[in-house]
Amino acid sequence: MKKKLLTTVASVVMLSSVLTACGGNNKNEASPSASASTPASNSPSESASAPASVERFDVSLRHIQIGELQKFRKAILDEVVKKSEEEVPGANFELDAVEDSFNRWTKLPAEMAAGNPPKIFDVFGGPAEGQKYARANKLLDLTPILDELGIKDKFTDTSTFNVDGKTYGLPLGASSEGWFYNKELLEANGIAVPKTLEELEAAFETLKGKGITPIAMGSQAAWVPFMLVNTLIARYAGPDIQAGVANGTRKLTEPEVVAAFAKYEEWIKKGYFTKGELGIDYTGQTNEFIAGKTAFLFDGTWRASTFSPEGVGKSLNGKVGYFAFPAVTGGKGDQTAVNYNQNNGYAFSSDVNDNEKAAIKAFIKNLYSEEYQVRGFKEDGVLPSMKVDASKLTSEDPVMKEVLANNAAAGTVFPHFDSLVAGPVNGEFEKQIQNLIAGKSNPQKAVEAIQQAQDKELAALK
Amino acid sequence: MPKVIKKVLPHLVLIVYVFIILFPFVFVLLSSLKETNDQIVTAPFGLPKKLMFENFADAWSQAKISRYFFNSAYLSLSAAVAAILLSAMTAYAIARMRLKRMSKIIYQFILLGMLIPGNVLFIAQYILVQKMGILNTHWALFLPYTAGALPFSVLLIVAFMKAIPQEMEEAAIVDGLGVIGSFFRIILPLTVPALVTVFIINLLGNWNEYLLSNFFISKDNLRTLPTGMVGFRDAFQTSYPLVFTGIVISVLPILVIYAFLQKTIIEGLTAGGVKG
Amino acid sequence: MNKTLRNPYVYLLFVLPTIGLYGLFFIYPVIQSAYYGLTDWNALTTANFIGFGNFERAFQDDDFWISVKNNMFFILFSVFLQVPLIILFSLLISGVKRLQGFYKTTVFMPSILSTSIIGILWGFMYHPSIGFFNKFLSWFGIEPIYWLSDTKWALLSILITNAWQWMGFYIVLVLAAILAIPKEINEAAEIDGATGFQRAVRITTPLIMPVISIVVMLSIAGAMRVVDIVLVMTNGGPAGATEVMASYMVNKAMKYGEYGYGTALSIMIFAIALLLTAIYQIVFARRQERVEY
Repeated sequence: MKKKLLTTVASVVMLSSVLTACGGNNKNEASPSASASTPASNSPSESASAPASVERFDVSLRHIQIGELQKFRKAILDEVVKKSEEEVPGANFELDAVEDSFNRWTKLPAEMAAGNPPKIFDVFGGPAEGQKYARANKLLDLTPILDELGIKDKFTDTSTFNVDGKTYGLPLGASSEGWFYNKELLEANGIAVPKTLEELEAAFETLKGKGITPIAMGSQAAWVPFMLVNTLIARYAGPDIQAGVANGTRKLTEPEVVAAFAKYEEWIKKGYFTKGELGIDYTGQTNEFIAGKTAFLFDGTWRASTFSPEGVGKSLNGKVGYFAFPAVTGGKGDQTAVNYNQNNGYAFSSDVNDNEKAAIKAFIKNLYSEEYQVRGFKEDGVLPSMKVDASKLTSEDPVMKEVLANNAAAGTVFPHFDSLVAGPVNGEFEKQIQNLIAGKSNPQKAVEAIQQAQDKELAALK
Repeated sequence: MPKVIKKVLPHLVLIVYVFIILFPFVFVLLSSLKETNDQIVTAPFGLPKKLMFENFADAWSQAKISRYFFNSAYLSLSAAVAAILLSAMTAYAIARMRLKRMSKIIYQFILLGMLIPGNVLFIAQYILVQKMGILNTHWALFLPYTAGALPFSVLLIVAFMKAIPQEMEEAAIVDGLGVIGSFFRIILPLTVPALVTVFIINLLGNWNEYLLSNFFISKDNLRTLPTGMVGFRDAFQTSYPLVFTGIVISVLPILVIYAFLQKTIIEGLTAGGVKG
Repeated sequence: MNKTLRNPYVYLLFVLPTIGLYGLFFIYPVIQSAYYGLTDWNALTTANFIGFGNFERAFQDDDFWISVKNNMFFILFSVFLQVPLIILFSLLISGVKRLQGFYKTTVFMPSILSTSIIGILWGFMYHPSIGFFNKFLSWFGIEPIYWLSDTKWALLSILITNAWQWMGFYIVLVLAAILAIPKEINEAAEIDGATGFQRAVRITTPLIMPVISIVVMLSIAGAMRVVDIVLVMTNGGPAGATEVMASYMVNKAMKYGEYGYGTALSIMIFAIALLLTAIYQIVFARRQERVEY
C-alpha cells in the first residue's frame, strides 16, 4: 500500500513539474518564431530600418473564422497578419479563434468587464455591443488612423460603430436578407417567381395544398425568424421604422407594425413554416432547404455560397434563385428597399502602446483593401462594406448575380433592429417572436411588450 | 422462486437498461465510420457501406487534435490527482479527527460550494486569475479545476471515512502509529474505492470542461480537447462523420481508463482492503 | 489516543490547503460578485448602488418564476424517479456475479460524455423524422412527436436525457458503497437464512443510507444548478418552456449585459438551493442516525 501511495505522490510531483515545464516551454517557444520574423523584417523593403534586433511584442487577435466553412475568410486573415508582421518589426500577432456566439455573448463581455479585451477583436456594432463598449472607453478611436491611411471615405457605412462622430470599429463585410427559392420545386408545381406579396402567399398556399412545406424555418435561436419579421415590419411600416423606433420618434405600437406581426402570425397559423421549427437550429433550417423538402428560405446573402459547386448544398447548385421581399400593397414608404447590414467587423482595445498601435494600423491598412473586399465577395459571397469599383463586383455564381441585381434595383436600404436597439430590447423582441410562434402571444401584446422595453431604455438615456 | 429465475431476472432487467445506454453509443460508432452525411441522416442505424477508418486519421490531423489531446490529458490527470490528495486530507481531518465542532463548521462551509451557481462566478474568477498573473497559462485551469472538485470530493470521502469502524484505527494508534501514519496506512487504503470513484468523476469533469478552458486560454497550443471539438462542431455542416469520429476520439481514452480502473482497482482493493 | 487525533497542527495541515484554494476560487468571487447584486452594474461602466432593487424586480419577474418551476420539475424527477431506480440497479448489479464488470462499465458510459456531445447525440434521437423515438412510435402507428420543439414535451425530453446522462454516475457511487460493506455481514445473514431480497432491504440498504442521502443531496443541488444540458439541447426554448434559473441568469448577465440583475438572480438561486437542502436535512436526513450534516 505504501508503495502505491509513494507512486501517487511521485506522479503528482511529476505532473506538476510537467505543468511548470510546459508553462516555461511555452515562453521559450516564442524565441524561434521571433528569430524567424527578424530576418523577415530585414527584407529589402525595410532596408531603411536599423539592423539592430528589434524587441518582440505580442498583439492578441480574436477572430471567429473557425472550421471548414470559414477557410477562405481565415486565409485572408492569415495573409493580412503575415503582411502586417513583416511591416511592423517585432510584431507577433497571437491569433485566438473563438466560436462566434461564445465570443459575442460570453468571452468578450467578460473580458470587457475585467478591462482586459484582446488588442484586436471581432465585434458587432450597435448600442448593445460595439457602441456600448465605445461609450465605456474600451475601444480605440480609429478616426485619426483612418485619416492617416486616407481610407476614411472608403467605407459605405460605419454608423453602428460610431459614437459622437468618431469611429470605433470597421465592418468587415455586408449582407442583405431576402428570399431564396428552389426553382425545381416551384416549376414542378406550376408556380412563377412571385412579384407581389399576394403572389407569394398564393405560392405558399399551392405548396401547402400539395403537402410541401413552403418555408424552411429553424427558430430555436430567435435571430433566425427575426430576419423575416424585421423585413416584414419595414415593408408595412416603411424603411425608416427601425431608425425611428431606435431614436424614439416612432413606435412599434403603430398599426402598420401590428399588421406586419399579424401577417407573420397568419403564416404561422396557416402552417407555412417547417413543423417543429422551435426545435430546429439554424443549421437544421439550412439542411431542410438543401434536402429539397421546402421551397423557400428567408436568409442572409451569405447563404448564397452554400449552393456553389463546392458548397454544402451543392446538390442544389444551379437550382436556387433569389429575390428581395416583394412589395406590400398599401405598405408605407419605399417598397423596393432592401435590408443591408454591415454590423460585424473588427474593433481595437483602447489600452494599447505605440508598438501595438503601429501593428493595429498595419492590420487595418492590409485588411481593409479593395483586393480583400473583392476576394471576400468572390469566395464567400460577402457583400463589400467599402466602396468598391462596381466593375470588379461581378460574379459567375447565378445566385450572387440575382442578389446583385436585386440590390441594384433597391431605392433605399434599411438596417436590422438588433443593430440599433439595446440588449434588453433585443431580448424582448426575440422572446415575443418565439412566443408568437408558440401561440403564447398575439401581435398587439407582442409590440406593446417590446415598445415598453424600448421606452424604458430611452428613458434611461435621458 | 426457482433458482434459475432468481439468477436470470436481474440480468434481464439490467440488459434492458444496458441496451438503452448503449443505443446512442452504437449510433456514434456507426456514424463515425460512415462516408457521408447522407448515410447518417437517411439510415441512422444502418451499417456503414464501407468502413471509413480514414475518418480517424483525418480527425486526428485536422484541428490539432493530438495537441489538444495531450493538454487535456495531463491537465485533467494532474488536477484530479491534486484534488483527491487535498480532499482526502481534509476529509480525514473532518471525519476522523476529534475536533468535532471545528470540523462541523468547516464541513458546512465547504458544502456551501455545492450550492453555488458556478456560471456567474466566472467574471469574478476571470478577474482573479488575471490578477494572479496566470491568465493564458495552464495554471489558470489547473487551480480552478482542483478547487472546483473539492466540495464534492470532500463530501463524498467524508461519508466513506465515517463508515469505517473506529476499532481499526484505535488499535493502530494504541500500537503507536501517529495521526499522519494512521491516515496514510489505515484510513487511506480503506477508502481507495471512494478515492478511485472520486478521481474518475473529477477526471471526467476536467476532461469535458469547456467554459473555463475556452475562457482563460487564448493561445492555440494551450487549448484543451473540448475547445478543439468546437472546430469540429462548426465543421458539422460539412461532415457529420468527422464530428462523430471526434466524439469517439475524445471518449475512448477515458472509457479505457475507467474500464481499467474499475476492474483492477475497485474490485481488487475493496476485497483486499477490507479483509486485510 | 484522543490526544493523537486532536493534534491541531496536523489538523491545520490537512485542512488549510483545501480551505485556501476553495476560499480563493469560490468564496472570494462569491463575495465579490454578491456586492454587484446590489448594483445596476452592466459589466462595463461604474456600478450604482440600488439596494434591493434587483431582488424586488426578481420577485415580479414572471419569466424567472417559470424557470424556478422548471427547476422544481428537475428536482421531483430526479429524487422520486431517478433515485429509486439508481438504488434498484445498484442492488441488482451488486447481486450478480457474472457480467458485473460489464454492467459497471456500461452504466457509467453516458457520464463520460461531455454535455455538448450529448446535445448533438440526443438531437438525433429526438429528431422528428429521422429520430429513434418517432421511428419507434411509428411502429405502433403513433403520430410523430416534436420532442424538443413542442412546449408540452420539451422539458420531459430534457429530463429523460439528463437521467440517461447521470444515473450511471450515481449508480457507481452507490455501488462503491455496497461493495465496501464487509462481506462477512452479508455472509452471516445468508447463513441465518435471509433471502437475497431480505438482505438487500434489511442489511444493504440501511448500510448505504449515508451514500443514498448524499445522492439525494447531490440530485437536489444538481437540479438547482442545471444549465449545460438545457443550453445545448433547447437553449431554454421552445418559447421559454425549458428555461431554468441558471440559464435565465446567464442570459441576463452575459447576453443582455444586466450583470447586476443576473448576480442578484444567482444569489436567489443560491438561497433557494440552501433552503431546499436545509428542509431536506431537517425533514428526512435527521431520521437517519448515521447521517450528520
